Amino acid sequence: MVRVEGLSKRFRHRVKGDLWAVREVSLAVAPGEFLTLLGPSGCGKTTTLRMIAGFESPDAGRVWIGDRDVTALMANQRDIGFVFQSYALFPHLTVFDNVAYGLRIRGVDRAETARRVGEVLALVGLSRYEAQQPHQLSGGEQQRVALARAIVIRPRVLLFDEPLSNLDAKLRVQMREEIRRLQKELSITAVYVTHDQEEAMAVSDRIAVMSQGVVVQEGRAEDLYHRPASAFVAQFIGRVNFLRGRVVERGAGGALVEVAGARLRVAGDVGPRAGEAARVAIRPEAVGIAPDGPGAAGEVSGRVVARTFLGEKVDYQVRAGDEVLLVTCPDQGPGALLGEGQAVRLRLPPDRVALLPATE
Amino acid sequence: MRGRDPALRVTVLLLWGLLALFVLYPLLSLLGRVATDGGRLSLGSAFAILADPHQLRAFGNSLLLATLVGLAGTALGFLFALTASRAGLGRGWLGVLDAVTLLPLISPPFTTAIAMIFSFGPRGLITYQLLGIKGVSVYGLTTTFFSETVTYFPIAYLTLRPVLAAIDANVEDMALSLGATRAQVFRTVTVPLAIPGLANAFLLLFAASLADFATPLILAGNAFPVLPTQAYLQITGLFDLRGGAVLSFALLVPAFGVYLLQRYWVSRRYYVTVSGKAGARTSVKTVAPWLRPVLVGACLAVAAVIAYFYALLLYASAVVALGANHAWTWRHYHVIFTEGARAIRDTLIIAGLSMPLGGAYGVLVGYLVARKRFPGRAAMEVVSMLNYALPGTIVGIAYLIAFNDPPIALTGGALIIVACYVFRYSPTGIRATVAQLQQIDPSLEEASLGLGASSATTFYRVTLPLVVPAFFAGLGVVFIRSMTAISATIFLVSINWTLITVRILENMTELSLGPAAAFSVLVVAIVYVVIALIGRVLRTFSAPGSASLGSVLGG
Repeated sequence: MVRVEGLSKRFRHRVKGDLWAVREVSLAVAPGEFLTLLGPSGCGKTTTLRMIAGFESPDAGRVWIGDRDVTALMANQRDIGFVFQSYALFPHLTVFDNVAYGLRIRGVDRAETARRVGEVLALVGLSRYEAQQPHQLSGGEQQRVALARAIVIRPRVLLFDEPLSNLDAKLRVQMREEIRRLQKELSITAVYVTHDQEEAMAVSDRIAVMSQGVVVQEGRAEDLYHRPASAFVAQFIGRVNFLRGRVVERGAGGALVEVAGARLRVAGDVGPRAGEAARVAIRPEAVGIAPDGPGAAGEVSGRVVARTFLGEKVDYQVRAGDEVLLVTCPDQGPGALLGEGQAVRLRLPPDRVALLPATE
Repeated sequence: MRGRDPALRVTVLLLWGLLALFVLYPLLSLLGRVATDGGRLSLGSAFAILADPHQLRAFGNSLLLATLVGLAGTALGFLFALTASRAGLGRGWLGVLDAVTLLPLISPPFTTAIAMIFSFGPRGLITYQLLGIKGVSVYGLTTTFFSETVTYFPIAYLTLRPVLAAIDANVEDMALSLGATRAQVFRTVTVPLAIPGLANAFLLLFAASLADFATPLILAGNAFPVLPTQAYLQITGLFDLRGGAVLSFALLVPAFGVYLLQRYWVSRRYYVTVSGKAGARTSVKTVAPWLRPVLVGACLAVAAVIAYFYALLLYASAVVALGANHAWTWRHYHVIFTEGARAIRDTLIIAGLSMPLGGAYGVLVGYLVARKRFPGRAAMEVVSMLNYALPGTIVGIAYLIAFNDPPIALTGGALIIVACYVFRYSPTGIRATVAQLQQIDPSLEEASLGLGASSATTFYRVTLPLVVPAFFAGLGVVFIRSMTAISATIFLVSINWTLITVRILENMTELSLGPAAAFSVLVVAIVYVVIALIGRVLRTFSAPGSASLGSVLGG
């Protein structure tokens, strides 16, 4: 439905000179699919979105919406709906007139406009707000108006630029569920930009992680989480431990890695070769922790150096060799906490460990 | 805190004393003179003066002229503001626009009028020399209107440019994404959002034209009398102080209407468009590519007219007699530096005195109004703005009536002129100070108080350094106006103390155009040098978002 190929954009930086804001980005979004561009600020995700919208013109590459090459078209000819972080409501128009704007531009008649505006305002739960001015609304309500205004024209693609960043945490969760519900209900193709990994995981069918102007990994949330292709992705999505090690042996479908005085089997056949230094990534909740006792193969011994009790779960910092690991586990009930200074054994399940190059 | 701060109490009382003496007392004296005749209350005779058909016509003419200048000046200002904010001009071109619009702002208000006489007068460069037309009259509505528009449109430009720049680019992008064409975005988003700014610009120009007395004096002629000139002629020609007072007072009605509209209509309609991060500036401009050269071309045409006017002034000051003998000469400059030396000296002394006094007064009042709580604070804010909001003719005549006789006889001295400038032109500094302080967290000052510093020490050690930019901006405006203003002070000059601007007008009426041109060039040069110096100082001190001299000249 939306396809970009080799999209590139240069910017002139005051100090650093010419920089690639976006470099050869290629993406494809299937009809009805929800794709999120995720990355830290300055990674080029907003610029990519603005080029899809037609607010910026690319220095190279092409943009297709449907089967139409829209690269040379202005935003007003692309048939898109856009939701800005700042909402960009027309401050001089009422809620009704804001939502009706796109319909009036399209020459939709009066009765039809009133019907469709009423319908879409009901959809976002703002039925009695027609006569209100934007400044009378709360942030969440403004965001709903912005959303209603973007979907009322039934665009071929809906584009979101960090739409929830100006809302407080609770409202953010509520709104992202609402956005997801509406997008599914209307089965509109959507491209969504955010720097918040949790938000990205909650709303998307697929996530493209961007860094320094390029897409570094693309896939479903669980794939990115369990099989990060780089330390950057592992770190950006969720919490992660990195352990230094060395590949001892390489076999079909796995490798034997020496880490913190123990030998681990690691699944997967990408990454460093035998004899090379490597990095092992493991999520804090994947590490098994138990009081010191008879060890088994692939286990690491350590000592608890700090403990944070968070209610439903407990975070432990455990020193093993010269590494410190973060281990998180569900609370086991009264009296089950491990004390600081206690010797423990850590288990690193092979299928939960990702093998990465020592440096990137 | 209240009442335990003797420094604050003394300062407030002192300021109220000054405001009572130099703002309220003159106005009440004027009111008294208008409302009484020979010691008895008599509004009837005041109405009789106004009901005179000739004066009624002057009143109507004033309104007509002000409306036309307001409309045309706002349109021109909008053109410049749109070009500056939307046409994607480089810094160089923006510099040209700014430089050209700065010239009328820092010149005596009748400079363009003089250039009009040089161009279209009886021996005018264009009508007589170029086209060979004889007997054409330069005087009347058209030329007055044209001259005032050129003089005052930069105010509209300075008002509208920030308004257009403040429109969130995302809002225009949004309209585009909803399918609107560039023209539709302009009509349905850009213009509606600029309407409060447009209204404000119109009202500012309307007020400026209404109060302008020098341009009509030079250009309007007998066929097109306007109220400020009539009031002036009534006093200087017929020695009828009361008649002049009544006529100037009639200006109050529209001036007050403008004030009310600005305060209660315009100020409430400014839209706040930014609610979150100001969006990335769009690179696809809302001005169509073909329109860009049209806008720039139109601006450059206006710029060329202004440049021509000032070049002509320079030329006229350096030739024997423009229109008759174009031989180069220093004669006119010799005249102004010998016969005119007194006026130059007096003006510089008065401007030199007004500048620091006005700057300090502006910062002090601004600080008290923005930061301190004391009885009568809101009243102080309003009263301190009065002389600034009123047409100069009213202020001048009020001072003349109030300070001509004991108990407080000041006319004939320099003090009355300095006081007039300080209380009339410092409000710019007051507003700049208030604006600056609103951006500075009061906790900075509270921290100083918490460390044991007195309120006076806190002001001196913490607040003052923070408002230095506003101080210099206010000071700059007072200096510029002291060098160029005429409408109020023409009533206050004397044999002992005179001003360059008054000498220029005298030269114009005596038809010694060369010295008038030389004086004008001198004033523009002095003002330019001083504001360039102040601008440099401002750049050294200025914090992000602080007042710049250019931006405060507008109001």
